[in-house]
Amino acid sequence: MNRNEHQRAIDLLTQRNVEGISAAEARWLEAHLEQCQECTSFAVALNDTEQALRSFTLMAPVSLVETTRARVHARAQELREQQARAVLMGVSFCLGVLTSTLTAWIWWTCGAWVADKLGLPSGIIEPGVLLFWLLPAVAIAVLMVAMPPTVFEGSLMQRFLKEHVRGAR
Amino acid sequence: MVAAAFSPLVTMETEEAQIATSLRRRDPDVLDALIEQYQHRLLRYLAHMTGNQATAEDLFQETWIRVLEKGHQYDGKSKFTTWLMTIAHNVAIDHLRKKTPASLDQMRETEDSAPWEPVAQSPSPFEQAAAMEDKTRIQAALEGLPPIFREVLVLRFQEQMKLEEIAKLVGIPLATVKTRLYRGVMALRPALLGGSQ
Repeated sequence: MNRNEHQRAIDLLTQRNVEGISAAEARWLEAHLEQCQECTSFAVALNDTEQALRSFTLMAPVSLVETTRARVHARAQELREQQARAVLMGVSFCLGVLTSTLTAWIWWTCGAWVADKLGLPSGIIEPGVLLFWLLPAVAIAVLMVAMPPTVFEGSLMQRFLKEHVRGAR
Repeated sequence: MVAAAFSPLVTMETEEAQIATSLRRRDPDVLDALIEQYQHRLLRYLAHMTGNQATAEDLFQETWIRVLEKGHQYDGKSKFTTWLMTIAHNVAIDHLRKKTPASLDQMRETEDSAPWEPVAQSPSPFEQAAAMEDKTRIQAALEGLPPIFREVLVLRFQEQMKLEEIAKLVGIPLATVKTRLYRGVMALRPALLGGSQ
């Protein structure tokens, strides 16, 4: 009896009760077990371990299940709100970029007209127009990063979130 | 049953696919049903992994939060049980690694090396098994095993998982699963025979 036979017997024993083995494999295994004390010991230990482990029960307490559900619901709500906020910010950003792009030429022309009227050098007016164009967006972005999101949740945002959350549920 | 949350006449394959769809939508009703269905199995697995019921209950909650957050990763092609246990396995490993800054394979004992501490309100596996002396002895022997062996034994004999499923869940080769199973069973053998380890 060589090592490969022992290994095959152990493999078949471990597979027998869950994956199952063929009739031919079962016959070979029984024949092997009749002659092999080592594998028989393993078979007995395997069977006893399975019975022992199956006999243990552990019931989840009701309070644990309820707490878990509450936490999961709260987290789901939080994730939905984050998603809604991200969507709203994305839409706002896109609209901002779009309007800025469309109005850039107008502001630039206005700046040039003001410079011409006041006789100011373009070295002052052009950066001024750029600042005028970009500063509000930069200021809002800084504020949004620095301050908690709830500060920006006005009635429109609240209504949007409520509708979105109600729709998701 | 989760199937009841969808339709009473869905096949297993359809149910897994519907679970995947619901998880992507973060449907709280389906999550409730899943928690209901898998509560005992999940807690039992985590309790065996950690060796401490209070810790297992914390990880139980953490596991369901992760299921919610990572639900979009479940494709519905594999069994939900396997995916859930994989999440639980990762949560448990993260916890054990925080407690012990070493790989799980190097761990010889569970956290704090403490014996099982039953919670007053709920019976632990030990308490429930205390009526039978041999069960207590076997459970003690099981708790004495390194988590890597204990986990494979629990998944195999309590959860009735296939060896390939265990290999996928734990992230180890099939041969390693067999080795751990063999060594785990043989390590328990003295307790099973009524002797001491």
